[in-house]
Amino acid sequence: MPGADKEADLTERIEAFLADLKRGGCGTGPIRGSGETARETTALLRKVTAQARWSSAGDLMEIIRKEGRRMTAAQPSETTVGNMVLRVLKIIREEYARSRGSSEETDQQESLHKLLTSGGLSDENFRQHYVHLKANVIEAINELLTELEGTTDNIAMQALEHIHSNEVIMTVGRSRTVEAFLKDAARKRKFHVIVAECAPFCQGHEMATNLSKASIETTVIADAAIFAVMSRVNKVIIGTQTVLANGGLRAVNGTHTVALAARHHSTPLIVCAPMFKLSPQFPNEEDTFHKFVSPHEVLPFTEGEILSKVNVHCPVFDYVPPELITLFISNIGGNAPSYIYRLMSELYHPEDHDL
Amino acid sequence: ANRGGKQKKGNVTSEQEEEEQPLQAVLVADSFNRRFFPISKDQPRALLPLGNVAMIDYTLEFLTSTGVQETFVFCCWMSNKIKDHLLKSKWCRPTSPNVVHIITSDLYRSLGDVLRDVDAKNLVRNDFILVYGDVVSNIDVSQALQEHRHRRKVDKNISVMTMVFKESSPGHKSRCEEDDVIVAMDSKSKRVLHYQKTQGLKKLQFPMNIFQHGSDEFEIRHDLLDCHISICSPQVAELFTDNFDYQTRNDFVRGILVNEEILGNQIHLYVTQDGYGARVSNLQMYDSVSSDMVRRWVYPLTPEANFTDQQGQGCTHSRHNVYRGAEVSLGHGSQMEENVLIGRDTSIGANCHISNSVIGNNCTIGDNVVLDRAHMWNNVHISSNVEIHQSVVCDGAVVKEAVRLNKQCVLAYNVVIGPNLSLPEGTVVSMHHPEEEEEDDDDEFLSDDQEVGHTFNPAEVGPEGKGYIWKASMNDTEDEELAQCLWGRPLSKQNVCKVVSFQLEVLGTLQRGLEENIVCDNLVLEINSLKYAYNITLKEVMQILTRVVLEYPFQQQGTQLTTLQYTGSLLPLLKTWSPVFKNYIKRAQDHLDCLSAVEELFLEQDTHQTAMVKVLMKMYQLEILEEEAILKWFSTGATNDKSRQLRKNQGLQKFIQWLKEAEDESSEEGE
Repeated sequence: MPGADKEADLTERIEAFLADLKRGGCGTGPIRGSGETARETTALLRKVTAQARWSSAGDLMEIIRKEGRRMTAAQPSETTVGNMVLRVLKIIREEYARSRGSSEETDQQESLHKLLTSGGLSDENFRQHYVHLKANVIEAINELLTELEGTTDNIAMQALEHIHSNEVIMTVGRSRTVEAFLKDAARKRKFHVIVAECAPFCQGHEMATNLSKASIETTVIADAAIFAVMSRVNKVIIGTQTVLANGGLRAVNGTHTVALAARHHSTPLIVCAPMFKLSPQFPNEEDTFHKFVSPHEVLPFTEGEILSKVNVHCPVFDYVPPELITLFISNIGGNAPSYIYRLMSELYHPEDHDL
Repeated sequence: ANRGGKQKKGNVTSEQEEEEQPLQAVLVADSFNRRFFPISKDQPRALLPLGNVAMIDYTLEFLTSTGVQETFVFCCWMSNKIKDHLLKSKWCRPTSPNVVHIITSDLYRSLGDVLRDVDAKNLVRNDFILVYGDVVSNIDVSQALQEHRHRRKVDKNISVMTMVFKESSPGHKSRCEEDDVIVAMDSKSKRVLHYQKTQGLKKLQFPMNIFQHGSDEFEIRHDLLDCHISICSPQVAELFTDNFDYQTRNDFVRGILVNEEILGNQIHLYVTQDGYGARVSNLQMYDSVSSDMVRRWVYPLTPEANFTDQQGQGCTHSRHNVYRGAEVSLGHGSQMEENVLIGRDTSIGANCHISNSVIGNNCTIGDNVVLDRAHMWNNVHISSNVEIHQSVVCDGAVVKEAVRLNKQCVLAYNVVIGPNLSLPEGTVVSMHHPEEEEEDDDDEFLSDDQEVGHTFNPAEVGPEGKGYIWKASMNDTEDEELAQCLWGRPLSKQNVCKVVSFQLEVLGTLQRGLEENIVCDNLVLEINSLKYAYNITLKEVMQILTRVVLEYPFQQQGTQLTTLQYTGSLLPLLKTWSPVFKNYIKRAQDHLDCLSAVEELFLEQDTHQTAMVKVLMKMYQLEILEEEAILKWFSTGATNDKSRQLRKNQGLQKFIQWLKEAEDESSEEGE
């Protein structure tokens, strides 16, 4: 039976993806960039939509939710996965509404009046069957995939608006987006980049090598020198792992130091973050917020006796509060941190926030 | 041997054969020793929980994450339990990327048997990874594998095995004392030239010829932790078949190195700096691997990752490495200080202090409980006011009120302890009677001569207790396997043991010598052989000998002897054994050592200090001790008040005076 075979193939793909997520990131951050993770998740969800058995949008959403829960549980710190699940759920809602004929657009606008008058959030049950729903959903997911493909380029395109000649720019660690951003600007302008090495993983070294290959004048500094060097810096441009719902960041550790130093010297702090990094999560003391990896990088295993006497921790992320951030540059343009909540409500449906 | 789960999936293998053969692994889910007895009487070692996950799951996850596509699990002891566990686990789901074949047989007695069976059944077609079912590791062996394959290609299959080691300096708590190795290797080719377990030895010998051939750079390393992961070529299985005496990997490695000239096989080493790999070979290792795991050294194999994909097994991770499963309840005022893992549905009472501990599922813990380095498995009941330090409490055990478990206690399955009891350090309690196993096994090492009735002893396990005490047999050190020692014993302790047992042996020898009138030369021979057996220095031998002889009258006639009786019985003895003394006391230093031993003894027996002069006199007359040595000892030996006091003894002063005069006389005569 080909159907069963397909389904087996699908579960195998999902399992492999889950296992990858679980093993992913032995310290130095995920092996793949988050962009790639986003694309892979979306492609997998498209496969689920195409191959799973469902008759109505409600069924499909249930399936996607179920898989999404497993995927997010596999690596809670990898929020991109959850974000993509939410995007797909939103797509299904929209397509269903379009098939039904009502325009989701007007439905979506949360006017104060509407908030007051409507009882529950939505009484839709998504039970109706539409022939073209599947094709439409897949079509929309394909559009999402195309959007994801172009995010880095879209962000890099804006580089010339922000980087001027002879500026000194500081960045921390390695971000693929920032790398593309700087390289794009370097085609037209000459500027100097200072890279904080970002111990203990020292991704900054790799970043600096890549930048100098693109013939950008690059200096690597130790993390301890960030504050000292900040006075010379015109602009700080960093990447992030997640943009939180309040406009704060969950970024590689060392970022908070940079942000505070930048605030002290009133240096603008620009965050390059594609839209798919926007997460409906708030920065509370939730257990999954942090990620601790093997303390090997902090105190090597070879140290011997001392290890039985001390506790060594190696956290991966920093929380950067929104008030330290000047501007977000996403693939749809620049935004202030205070505008993030608005983008959030456009991207995700409020009912989906927790899977 | 029946083969379970041997449904080969044709499509999987054919898919992957396009580029290269699938990577295979041989997992030995049996330890072939009894280090975990009596715990492993109820559950095979591979299934014992480490951080609430069976150990074999760690090994399988390690293999799967390194890209192994086919694993052969060999089980012997309690193979059904292992099989059930595996069939239920995610490894046997059809979606698993790693196809697990379970092979069981009761005939396996060693690693050698397993590998001979691998060869007989022709299971491996290519290089394979060989691990035990109790290895916990996150090392990425693909690099080692690549090196191994490259060597095989270049050198025409000369290299048969690559052993994976992790760098860790001596003194690290995760270094297993028994697996302590010294390796001599060629720095460039990473070839093993010499491989030796140190086993607490201070002196090691390296054959010179290893340094003579080939390369000019060598490394002798002691900073290696054996991960018990080895990459083997199919030849390894064949070699085991050819050599029936190979039982362990150690035999194999030594065999290969000795026969290198003849067979031309080589063994290589892969030393990794990052990653974690250790084998849980005793409870000491269990303790340290478990704490390493909770402290996230084995990331991404952490408790909250739930890599086994079991429902409800997930837990959350919060600051100070505190992990909590679902539905954990914590009473008022209880603290989980640091490095704590608590399984699901466990409830903890009020005002408890928990640190560095792992608690399983469905446990109940009362009020005012202190747990430090405790390892509690599932369904354990702990009543109030209990204190547990560095101990293992197995499934279903019950600890009643106000019990204190001191270090290194083990409560095996379903044991009940207490109330109001303090178990001394190193107590092992099991529901199995220690003697019942002698019936079902003949090659037994447990030589318990103590008779324990087959009823529970309330003095040992408490008024409501259930279980039998297993003797932590400290005297069985001759048993080189250290078989009974659940907790790997630290070396210093072992040394003290050695000296004490050596002293007993010497006493026995002398006693026998007296009873059976054995010639002194033969006594010397016996003592010498004992010296080698216990690996004791000459100095220690002499001190112990002196001590044994001087204490002999007390030994025989009790300690209430008067000084007169004591000297009366001792002096003839000294005469009989003087040849023995003379054999050991030769150099000037020996004399001083002997004298200090005499002094030490009389400082302890201060009522008999007057006898000391007589003893010294006799020894001088028998020419055991020389006058110069005695004078030197008298003038310089005093290091503390007590010994100074001793030297003020009138008799002793006179004796010394006399000696001095005698010396003057003799020197005058000489003129």
